Amino acid sequence: MVCMGETSVFWLRVTLTLYSLGLGHALLTVIRRRQRLFPVALASFAIAAVFHLVSIVEEGMTLGRFPVVNLHQSSSLIGLLITVLFLIVYWRYKYESLAVFVFPIVFVLTLIASLGHPVQPWASPALRSSWLFLHVVLALLGYAALFLTCVAAVMYLIQERELKSKKPRAFYYRLPPLGTLDEMSYRTMAAGFALITLGLITGSFWAFIEWGTRWVVDPKIILAFVTWGIYLAMIFTRWTIGWRGRKAAYFAIAGSCCAALTWMVDRGVHSFVP
Amino acid sequence: MNLLVLGLSHKTAPVEVRERMAVPEEGLAEALSSLVAQPGIAEAMILSTCNRVEFAVRAEPETDAGAVIRSLFPLDPAERHLYQHAQRDAIRHLFRVASSLDSMVVGESQILGQVKDACAAARAAGTLGGPLDEILNRALSVAKRVRTETGIGQMAVSVSYVAVELARKIFGSLDGHTVLILGSGKMSELAARHLRRSGAPAVFVANRTWERAVEMAARFEGRPVPFEQLFEFLAHVDIVISSTGAPGFLITRERVQSLMAARKNRPMFLIDIAVPRDIDPGVNKIDNVFLYDIDDLEQVADANRRQREREAERAEAIVEAEVDRAMARLKAQDVTPTIASLQAELERVRRAEIERLRGRLGDLTPEQEQAIETLTRGIVNKIAHTPITQLKTLASHPDGLHFIDVIRRVFNLKENP
Repeated sequence: MVCMGETSVFWLRVTLTLYSLGLGHALLTVIRRRQRLFPVALASFAIAAVFHLVSIVEEGMTLGRFPVVNLHQSSSLIGLLITVLFLIVYWRYKYESLAVFVFPIVFVLTLIASLGHPVQPWASPALRSSWLFLHVVLALLGYAALFLTCVAAVMYLIQERELKSKKPRAFYYRLPPLGTLDEMSYRTMAAGFALITLGLITGSFWAFIEWGTRWVVDPKIILAFVTWGIYLAMIFTRWTIGWRGRKAAYFAIAGSCCAALTWMVDRGVHSFVP
Repeated sequence: MNLLVLGLSHKTAPVEVRERMAVPEEGLAEALSSLVAQPGIAEAMILSTCNRVEFAVRAEPETDAGAVIRSLFPLDPAERHLYQHAQRDAIRHLFRVASSLDSMVVGESQILGQVKDACAAARAAGTLGGPLDEILNRALSVAKRVRTETGIGQMAVSVSYVAVELARKIFGSLDGHTVLILGSGKMSELAARHLRRSGAPAVFVANRTWERAVEMAARFEGRPVPFEQLFEFLAHVDIVISSTGAPGFLITRERVQSLMAARKNRPMFLIDIAVPRDIDPGVNKIDNVFLYDIDDLEQVADANRRQREREAERAEAIVEAEVDRAMARLKAQDVTPTIASLQAELERVRRAEIERLRGRLGDLTPEQEQAIETLTRGIVNKIAHTPITQLKTLASHPDGLHFIDVIRRVFNLKENP
């Protein structure tokens, strides 16, 4: 499976490393709610875009045509386009909050792109099993956090109804205040999102090394990416327009159901694991 | 043990009677000292608040403590308003009073402080220090237990406090949530004061008449803002109390809807106490906006009152259990000295009788001496056996204290051996 020149793979990995700074910034932003790293992340993102372009051009030259023949190549191209678009929008409007959404998306797209190339098998069985262990632990911790998000969202809905109805019943007295529940659901969601992002990355690497490209069509993986997308969207809307309240709580519950489904498909393990 | 509580409260006496019976703070020490100076009164405490005047005393078993108190204080005109509780009932009454179960507003927290002060005054006057002191200390911890284990003091029952409670239920902490008062009025001012004290960092005041806004703001460290900039401020403040004289809706649904975008959906709590109303009731349908008018606040206050009553039932159960425990402890303390003094008394009688008759018996062999000793001891022990076992078993009986008293009287035992 030699579909890219050696150097284009190298540039793509450099790009991915630089994008990972952007991802780190996005995760820290939603968890810590401060944007100190933004200039660094933005600079590395701009530089990464150049390498990304170099990688795609080189690959096109090697192939002798426009490189959009498979999933990996097209996600690489989409990643670059989003990056460029973001940089233009940022240059025109200084819309920083968008980075929370764009950085993780671009990183994941580039991650998928870079997984189209064969790599060395595991250096040792110990590394292999500890890598898998890391993936499982991150994913389970992520699910646990998202479960708490779901609990907080359900309590939010009940308490919100009590407050809107103006007829306090037992729940009004027993449940925590709305502000507390909202805070709890946001914090657990941010932590859960960071954890499942890392779980997704470690899992993708592992599956790729073990199974080549077969894993992409695994239903559990697809669901995992969908879940991840839902949470990314929720965190982004919360971060930018402060989307919260009843509808946001419904979405959080839907996201948790999706996460639960991801976890339950094939009883916890992937279809390609024998 | 002879405990007595004698007094009157808002439940039995109108304010004209209560104020006449009140013991002023400066006369408290003297009143306490004169009480314990009476024969038979061992300990005393006087609780005198605007809602109740109560004398709690521990007396010697034979003393009619009620009569002693009546002889010292001019209670005659209030006789029909007086209540009197003895022993177990006295303990229960003290526990209930400290736990605010006997208060006008059940669950109010002031009474606990007043009981504490009364105890401190009595201790300072040297009229506490025995079992009554112990019971009063117990009453304070029962009150704390009731407060932490039930929600009796948590729910607001006045409209202005309901506003604070709702703000807390919406925002969690009030820290960082500013308040805007629209128009003027006693109630909005009161609510603003409560909110400020509960942690709201700033209060803004807007009024169509600038001077009135300035004047009202000055009264509680608020900040007057121009009425024309109302909607700019509404985008930033989180709690609004409105009570203007406007004939129609001042704040419409469309207005709030557009505000929410500018507020990035941060929740908003609107309180409309104006009649006719200032805020379109449809506003409550907007996500993250909570609108309460005066009737809604009353409705919450009512629900809170009912909730307090439910909590009060749980509190009564706690008090009852604590009374049992206090009684058991008192009896255990009472039974042992009673048994000891009963045995000592019978032994004294036996010795006195042998002493008296020894001369008539003449010379006796050591065996005969021994026989007399065994005989008399045997009689005494047989007689004492039943009362002692009864004392031990009846100590846990509800009427145990009374029984201990009877034994003491029958055998003519002193209060403390």
